[in-house]
Amino acid sequence: MVIGQEGKGRKGGPSTSSGEVTTSNSPIEFRLDPASGVPTYLQLVQQVEHALRLGYLKPGDQLPKVRDVVASLAINPNTVSKAYRELETKGLIIGRPGQGTFILATLSPVVLPELDGLRRSLHNWLAKADGVGLDESGIMALVASELRDFYERHRESRDGAAGDDTESVA
Amino acid sequence: MNVIESRGLSKSYGTTKALDDCTLAIPEGHVVALVGPNGAGKSTLLSLAVGLAAPSAGALTVLDSEAPGSPAALDGIAFVAQDTPLYKNLSAADMLHVTRNLNRRFDQASAEARLAEIGIPLKRKAGKLSGGQQAQLALTLALARRPQLLVLDEPVAMLDPIARHDFMATVLTAAVDEGVSVLLSSHVLAELERVADYLVVLSRGRVQVAGEVDDLLAGHRVLTGPVAQVATLAHWPVVHVRHGEVLAHVLARVTADDGVPQGWESHPVGLEELALAYLREPDAAALPGPVRSQDAGARR
Amino acid sequence: MTALPTLTVPLHEKADANLRPLPWRRMAWVTWRQHRIALIGVVAALAAIGAYTWMVGLQIHHNYAVEFACHPAGSDSCLQLTSGFNSAGGFLTNGWILQMVPALIGAFVGAPILAREMETGTFRYAWTQGFGRWRWTLAKLVGLAVAVSAAAGGISVLFSWYYQPYFGADNQTRNLAEMPSLAPSLFDLRGVAFGAWTLAAFAIGALAGAMIRKVVPAIVATLVAYAGLAIATGVWLRGHYVAPLVTRSLNVPNSVWIVTQNWMTKSGQTASQSVLYQVLQGAPTQVDGKEGGGPNLHALVAWQYLVRHGYTEVTRYQPGNRFWEFQWIEGGWLLALSIVLIAATVRLVRRRAV
Repeated sequence: MVIGQEGKGRKGGPSTSSGEVTTSNSPIEFRLDPASGVPTYLQLVQQVEHALRLGYLKPGDQLPKVRDVVASLAINPNTVSKAYRELETKGLIIGRPGQGTFILATLSPVVLPELDGLRRSLHNWLAKADGVGLDESGIMALVASELRDFYERHRESRDGAAGDDTESVA
Repeated sequence: MNVIESRGLSKSYGTTKALDDCTLAIPEGHVVALVGPNGAGKSTLLSLAVGLAAPSAGALTVLDSEAPGSPAALDGIAFVAQDTPLYKNLSAADMLHVTRNLNRRFDQASAEARLAEIGIPLKRKAGKLSGGQQAQLALTLALARRPQLLVLDEPVAMLDPIARHDFMATVLTAAVDEGVSVLLSSHVLAELERVADYLVVLSRGRVQVAGEVDDLLAGHRVLTGPVAQVATLAHWPVVHVRHGEVLAHVLARVTADDGVPQGWESHPVGLEELALAYLREPDAAALPGPVRSQDAGARR
Repeated sequence: MTALPTLTVPLHEKADANLRPLPWRRMAWVTWRQHRIALIGVVAALAAIGAYTWMVGLQIHHNYAVEFACHPAGSDSCLQLTSGFNSAGGFLTNGWILQMVPALIGAFVGAPILAREMETGTFRYAWTQGFGRWRWTLAKLVGLAVAVSAAAGGISVLFSWYYQPYFGADNQTRNLAEMPSLAPSLFDLRGVAFGAWTLAAFAIGALAGAMIRKVVPAIVATLVAYAGLAIATGVWLRGHYVAPLVTRSLNVPNSVWIVTQNWMTKSGQTASQSVLYQVLQGAPTQVDGKEGGGPNLHALVAWQYLVRHGYTEVTRYQPGNRFWEFQWIEGGWLLALSIVLIAATVRLVRRRAV
């Protein structure tokens, strides 16, 4: 089902019509990395989470309207809707009918001391890997594979707890 | 409602079979990508859908139950053919006037606003516009008719990247704003993943793949493992195998939850990779089950 | 399921099963805008021809009136006026130019209507609009047919005026040039025939364009088909709309159109040229002491010789007073043919799969 946004504002038209492209009243603007291999909707989700972490978005801020994202990125409206649904499932945003989509909560910030501790243990691990003879891409492959497995197990346990939440794409 | 529904649709030109036994049920509210190599039958299928040609065999209905080319179908479907045909000696304003006269609904104000926004002067002859501007003009005319279904035949093939982006942005914005269903054909796969949420793959006149993009991507994985063990996957729903001396990639119709044999890795599939795999395997098909509106007994 | 703001997009109400067709008058502007150059070209060309016809025609009418007013009839000055009238060229000697006008109109207005759409691919736009392809075709064809036929009909009034002096009842006695009003080179420039031939040429062009689908070949085909039809009509068909009158007299007036003229033997068979020639070998070359004499005199001698030897000249002809009867017959079947051709064109468009 294609979900439309209210307000057919003429802002956010194609980039050839004006030097600046503004996307509604949102603090952020989305970009796409077509070569990253990450699905489009996931890129949007990650960009919102990243913006939250860095403080570009605060609770109460409005996200760009679906229509405006579609107009500036030329992507399928369902993709944007799916990204916003995912963020809503995570409890990060809330949709207000007639008004737009707004940030609800913030990601728990990783406190600075914790960050330092993580950084140090990572450095030690990297030194060990390097000592064994693993090069940069070898390290990246290992990390990627473990990360994937970790999140799969993490998701399984979360799904097992919360019940399978299959979204039907209408 | 299905914007396009066909059963056993075939079309022959003389002895050449352009379409062969195509069965489709394309739902409304989607941006549908029709892909396939040149000569696969994409233009033929679109011609049949908009009423420019008649089937040789089989049934085809549009907009739920209208016959293609009937007054209701002509009213509800706007078509932009390849090379965006316009009357070259008519100005943009003249083309608006002609299109307004020839149709029941026409939003003159929004069409003029749209042309002003893109920077197409109303007085300039259509033949003097650039390729991108001609495509945008043709699209503006089509959308101003407020159709239920917009059909585009290889709309961006001749456009430069910026024109291509602007064109698709216009199409997709219309899908959001006005709820227009979109059916576009393309032989360029790379950009479709961003744009399409329903995919139909045509090859040699036959439908190989038809389904929601999310479902298709969720329902396929690439399994990577040793070549020597490929034979053990024989009972798996394998679509296509690519391999070197030692390493093999097997595209199979399994989900992420289906598990993976020992020693193999499972990766998600992209849309382009999926379509290419099917195009390389003429006998493979990924078609939806037979649940359609008419099978529920509610056929008009 | 989701609290995201949704616009219940009003999906268009299910279209009426019986949508009222769009009004025909909508095609008026469309037809004009697409074909205005052709139409303006036709009007301009006819205006130019009309201007020339008017200028030369005034001269001819003047000469005619002056000759009639001249007394005494046999004097040298009056004879000068007579030859002045007879020798004016203009469209009498070059009427074939006017014969081409309907063909050119039909080819250049009619043929491109469908051929250009098919050749440039714009039919993919035109035939997917709400108006519908066969109604679009019919509106254009009828609209343009009426326009060109009316224009042609209008100018043929001027042609009729131009040629009028050549049909005077007294012309023969006054040795003024006279043409039979049914003469093939003049008949279809006057009355309703000129308009009807233009209409037929247009209809031929439209069908040719629809069948051939390329502009230049369609134009050529139209010209060829029209020429064939026009020649066949003039040579064979027109002479027999009504059974020709027959006379055996040697004095056939200038005002009649001779359909066939043969010498027959006593037994009623046609005498061939070689037989006649042989018979004439015995004819005297002198009459009353005068050698030869005027060309007409010599011929009259030959004819009278043949008659004395039992041959009869049989002339089948159409008298001038049948002009309007023939006009309506010819106009009628041309109109019927045009309707059939236009209907065939619309049917072809309706059924064509592209």
